[in-house]
Amino acid sequence: MTVAILEAVNIVKRYGKFIAVNGITLSVMPHTVHSVIGPNGAGKTTLFHALTGAVPINEGSITVDGVVVSHLPGYKRVLKGLTRSFQVTSLFPNLSVHENLRLAAQGRNPVQALHLWRSAESLTAAGETVDILLKRLNLSAVATRAAGELSHGQQRRLEVGMAMAGQPKVILLDEPTSGMGIEDIGDMKRLIHDLREEHTVVLIEHNMDIVMDISDTVTVMQLGQVLVEGKPDEIRNDERVRRAYLGSMTDGDSA
Amino acid sequence: MSIYLLQIINGIGIGMLYFLMSVGLSIIFGLLGFVNFAHGAFFMLGAYICFEISGSALGFWWALILVPLIVGAFAWLTEKFLLRYIYQLPHGFHILLTLGVALVLQEAVIVWWGPIGKEIAPPALLEGVVVLGSFVYPIYRLFVIAFTALMALLLWWLLDGTRLGSIVRAGSESTEMVSLLGININRIISLIFTLGTGIAGMAGALAAPIRGAEPFMGVEALGIAFVVVVTGGMGSFGGALGGGLLIGIVQSLMSTIWPEGAHLMIYVAMAAVMLLRPSGLFGRG
Amino acid sequence: MNLLTHYRYTLLAIATVLLLPVMLSSGSLATEVLIFALASLGCNLLLGYTGLMSFGQGIFLGLGSYTAGLSLLHMRVPLLVALLAAMVVGAVAAAAVGWLSIRRRGIYFALLTLALGQMFYFLAYTLKDITGGDNGLLNIPRPQLSVFNTTLLPTATQWQYYGFVALVFVVAFTLIQRVADSVLGRTLLAIRDNETRAAAIGYNVKLFKLIAFTISGAITGLAGALYAILIGVAPLSSIEYQASESILIMTVIGGTGNLFASVLGAGLYVLAGDWLSTLWPRWLMLLGILLIVVSLYMQKGLWGLGAQLIDRLKPRRAPRDPSAVKRKQNP
Repeated sequence: MTVAILEAVNIVKRYGKFIAVNGITLSVMPHTVHSVIGPNGAGKTTLFHALTGAVPINEGSITVDGVVVSHLPGYKRVLKGLTRSFQVTSLFPNLSVHENLRLAAQGRNPVQALHLWRSAESLTAAGETVDILLKRLNLSAVATRAAGELSHGQQRRLEVGMAMAGQPKVILLDEPTSGMGIEDIGDMKRLIHDLREEHTVVLIEHNMDIVMDISDTVTVMQLGQVLVEGKPDEIRNDERVRRAYLGSMTDGDSA
Repeated sequence: MSIYLLQIINGIGIGMLYFLMSVGLSIIFGLLGFVNFAHGAFFMLGAYICFEISGSALGFWWALILVPLIVGAFAWLTEKFLLRYIYQLPHGFHILLTLGVALVLQEAVIVWWGPIGKEIAPPALLEGVVVLGSFVYPIYRLFVIAFTALMALLLWWLLDGTRLGSIVRAGSESTEMVSLLGININRIISLIFTLGTGIAGMAGALAAPIRGAEPFMGVEALGIAFVVVVTGGMGSFGGALGGGLLIGIVQSLMSTIWPEGAHLMIYVAMAAVMLLRPSGLFGRG
Repeated sequence: MNLLTHYRYTLLAIATVLLLPVMLSSGSLATEVLIFALASLGCNLLLGYTGLMSFGQGIFLGLGSYTAGLSLLHMRVPLLVALLAAMVVGAVAAAAVGWLSIRRRGIYFALLTLALGQMFYFLAYTLKDITGGDNGLLNIPRPQLSVFNTTLLPTATQWQYYGFVALVFVVAFTLIQRVADSVLGRTLLAIRDNETRAAAIGYNVKLFKLIAFTISGAITGLAGALYAILIGVAPLSSIEYQASESILIMTVIGGTGNLFASVLGAGLYVLAGDWLSTLWPRWLMLLGILLIVVSLYMQKGLWGLGAQLIDRLKPRRAPRDPSAVKRKQNP
């Protein structure tokens, strides 16, 4: 029985009297794509923020590959192997694509970035990672363009690429296909699916098509708690899930 | 009556003036999300225009009416021809442009009126003092308290009780939403900027018989406005009022207890609030 | 050829230093240009590289002046020691100011630096026994540059002192340029572009900002020290709000895209101020108008304007992407 690589146990997050996340336990197995879905207001985003360290949790624990990260600030979780992408594209718009990825790759070893006399190019490890990534993301052609000038689809791929560059154990993707056109979505699906080989992926998505297609496990949330969890086929046919969504389920576009 | 009580009354007077001077800055920040570094310069302009008009045949009372209109007109022009073009730029440029405007206004005032400060006499009706216990208190300052209180009520009614007010309050939450409701947000922005800055000009006119008019009073006023707005709470009427009164009273008391420290105290207060309770003492969270 | 492009900004700095004596007749004016160029460099490191608009640079300028003044007056230290002491004090003060201010972002950060600046001003004004209060520290000596009682460089006359300051300036510029080009500098640029993203990929943003502050404080302190030694006085005005404002204005007018631009901005400010103020005492109005123009049309400052003009004059080539980061060709 394999051990979960990301273990969130009994996470509680309160905003005053409102309990956004009410005792969620999530076990993510290594080298899987684990999706978290649920109607609006289910608490997915808050859970996501709790996992990335953007909001502090009131109760519970988060462990990555055996290491407790529950109260570490976001930037420290990267060193423990946890990276994220953003739902609203958040790149370095004035820097080149190559530089964006180099920074992300260097972020795995941020102490090196403190050297005020060494050039970035002399830290070759990051540079090699970047070249490989550029090919994989199909962005080699635009490597020297400013990230802000890319097409939306290219930017979304770069978003995922930034999360990959830090050689993480677990990648948290926040609606990676948001706003993407049909052709780009296909590429993104393949990219995420292939990530399983070297990493583990936790995905928040509204696009059911993608969720059902590429997930190994699906967790459905409702009102801050886990409603049901299982393989995509089980979830698709689950009566409780249908009732929970009741009209807010989307089928191709993001909500 | 003890000296402390007198200083508190004094502080309330100064505080109300500070409120009037700062409320525009606060609301403009709430609505536009930008800080007007020329706000103090418009305050100064108000004092000078008051000097000009009250020294003419029209007299002080006309000055009080005309100054906010004239300063408001300058503000309207500034927004229309300069500020409007930089809203979308990073905040740094808002600061720099308004700094530039402040410099231009300051130097223009020196060109027109000379570098030496001017004195303005209070109107005949308000000259003299009133006896409070063993102290005397200038009638003009009592007038200032009463007048600013009236203005405060007027403003509060405007913000709370009118449609325009609810638009302003809504706009400070989301300008996008407001424009989606079909309201011409540009006109609202222009109106608010004109109004808020005109009020600062009026504060300058009111302050003129007390402090005179002097080219560098704009920089000092800006500093105090920042302190008031930050300690009270940015973007909030109540914040400007509470902050103004607090700073006015503290300054007044300090001038008896430790005069040199008055200037320091208000900046320490500002830094403390920013570090410990950034939403301000009286503002909404 | 690669070496030339690699060091082109340092070469520009050296060219400036050689050009000033040719252009100007006053040694002390030329020295002032270099001194404020240093202060502007310090400000640019924060603004152009880290995205931090600091209204507190006067703190470090003033502290640098006072430190140099005190150490030369009361402890008779050698010239370089006075400069070093000023840099250390500037760095420490900046670390403290930075540590407090960095806790907030945007306009709150700027206002915090402003408030802290006012507090330091108050301290300088009140501690008259140490700082000389309103009058400042007077009669600051100007020792020669000497090591073990052998004079390496005389500093007595205007132009001799200029020579010394020019040396310091070129060395400082080269070092700062090196820092800006280093992996640290690139990380600062990323923080300026998108702080949240920088944190999300693993960087301790607060630490990087603090380092930028400390370096900025050291350079600005150095400028303050050189200034006090130039005029023989450590004035209160160096630590006043107006000083912080002026340094910020110089930096912006020069342009925040590039370190050498700060030299341009400082040069314009100091020279225009000197020249125009004799013609028309209200020259600050022109400065105000320039600020407005820069904010509206020339956000990249004089340097940006120059770059645009040069691009237009160049023979037609395949258009270079202006916003891609320049990738250094490794020798």
